[in-house]
Amino acid sequence: MELFTEPLSFAFMQRALYAGLAVAVVCAVIGVFVVQRGRAFLGDGLAHACFGGIALGLYLGTDVEDAVWLAIPFTIAIALGIGFVLRSSHLRGDVATGVFFSFSFALGVLFLGLRSASARPVNVESLLFGSILSVSPQVLDVVLIVSAVALIVTLLLWSRLAYAIFDPELAAVSGVPVAALEYLLLAQTAAVIVVAVKTVGVVLVSSFIVIPAAAGRLLGATLARATVLAVVFGAAGVAVGLVASYHLDVPTGATIILTQCACFAVAFAVGRH
Amino acid sequence: MIGDDGGEPAAATPAWATSIERRDHARRLKQTRPDPAAPRVLDVDHVTIELRGKTIVDDVSFFIPRGEFVCLCGPNGAGKSTLLKAVLGLLEPARGTIRIHGEAPARARHKVGYVPQRKGYNRDFPARPVELITAALRGRWPGHVTPEERERARAVLTRVGGARLLDQPLAGLSGGETQRVFLARALVTDPTLVILDEPTAGVDVAGRAELLELMAEISRSDELAAILVTHNLAAVAQTAERIVYLEGGRLIGWGLPDELLGQKSLTALAFAAADHARAPDEE
Repeated sequence: MELFTEPLSFAFMQRALYAGLAVAVVCAVIGVFVVQRGRAFLGDGLAHACFGGIALGLYLGTDVEDAVWLAIPFTIAIALGIGFVLRSSHLRGDVATGVFFSFSFALGVLFLGLRSASARPVNVESLLFGSILSVSPQVLDVVLIVSAVALIVTLLLWSRLAYAIFDPELAAVSGVPVAALEYLLLAQTAAVIVVAVKTVGVVLVSSFIVIPAAAGRLLGATLARATVLAVVFGAAGVAVGLVASYHLDVPTGATIILTQCACFAVAFAVGRH
Repeated sequence: MIGDDGGEPAAATPAWATSIERRDHARRLKQTRPDPAAPRVLDVDHVTIELRGKTIVDDVSFFIPRGEFVCLCGPNGAGKSTLLKAVLGLLEPARGTIRIHGEAPARARHKVGYVPQRKGYNRDFPARPVELITAALRGRWPGHVTPEERERARAVLTRVGGARLLDQPLAGLSGGETQRVFLARALVTDPTLVILDEPTAGVDVAGRAELLELMAEISRSDELAAILVTHNLAAVAQTAERIVYLEGGRLIGWGLPDELLGQKSLTALAFAAADHARAPDEE
């Protein structure tokens, strides 16, 4: 028991746990839809789009903490752009995501390069790989609020979203507003990814969307069970990974992702039997 | 236009008649079109549908009275699927009106059962027939199926000969089993109009006749109006009370099967079947 209580006696570890759990739970619920829709690459694409938004904020003179307020609408706009291209063309989801991913990331590098020489230097590595242990009380508030709103909206619309993803045409015939829901899911995914970037960074954030959802899907015979399992795997990955990284003195974000990967491996092995 | 004059004046049809008896009755009277005074389940009135500035369906009119089984035929690109989408309320006609029991399609959804071509649904989705059928009842996907919903799903699946499929993964079912499940889904809301879009696509040859006979039997016993979109000439001849034949977006023929199949449109239908054999997933 002390194994868990000792690290959580520190305030920064508590904030890391709360932020990690909030992000893990909402990413798992949204991730089930993203994975089921066959758009696992979307998480990666939007995370890199978020980098563009943060860089834009830095170029305009905000600090890294406040840049999130610009990154959220920027990333949502990119997500809606992906949705519009998907609905207006015959391109597959990963192609449209790839185009916007490159565009936003290139914009981000451009904005960072355009900053004046006197501007405060930015630790790009912390942006790319995140730092869940350095989540400030202010950032924690943002993470909790965005995650709670996204979770509530997604759960309220869960049954309609599920129907639309099972068969958009059948859902539309039943009166489900399929296009509106698709845009809403994209926008929510974008907002959640921006706050997740604040905890695990651009490079690792898509793991929160994809891995628990994929593990839940391997074992869940219904979408509801797959969703519950995804939440369990996501939350367990954060809790166990956080504590393990403390005791092993290794990078926390990476340990969390590796723990989630271990959950996936177990689900894969159990699912095969 | 074939059958454009509507044949001889409509004679009163006995109220007790089944759809097949009505068809034979109409044949004897050479009554090409249904009785205009009969209560109409579906009324397509001078409908034109345009997509991206291109006319896909051009001034099409026909109606379906209660209990009539109609085949909607035509070659690829005839506008069949586009017209179906408008009947389902998924597209708005540029001109003309579509009415289901006098209401716009979007307001009459609960009166329509729809069996799509199988290609639309997400094969990776962890779905079971019990959930799919419950989704049709609720208008949204169920997180949990109540015992009442489960019994209703079981009853309708039993009716289509698929009771044992209730809890099986949808992705593991054969083509024929899947279509039985989708037929059950269409019937569970007690519709008065059933739309069957290429229901035998992906079903083996032996299962096609059985499936079509099942659909025709349910249509007869429940007095359902039904639209069957198919390239299967045998189905048209054996199942349909009437044919609505489209080509290039226009109504070419509307009448009794033997009348239309005996005329030059038979050639076009044969071409349609050949097209379908080459590209089974395209309209």
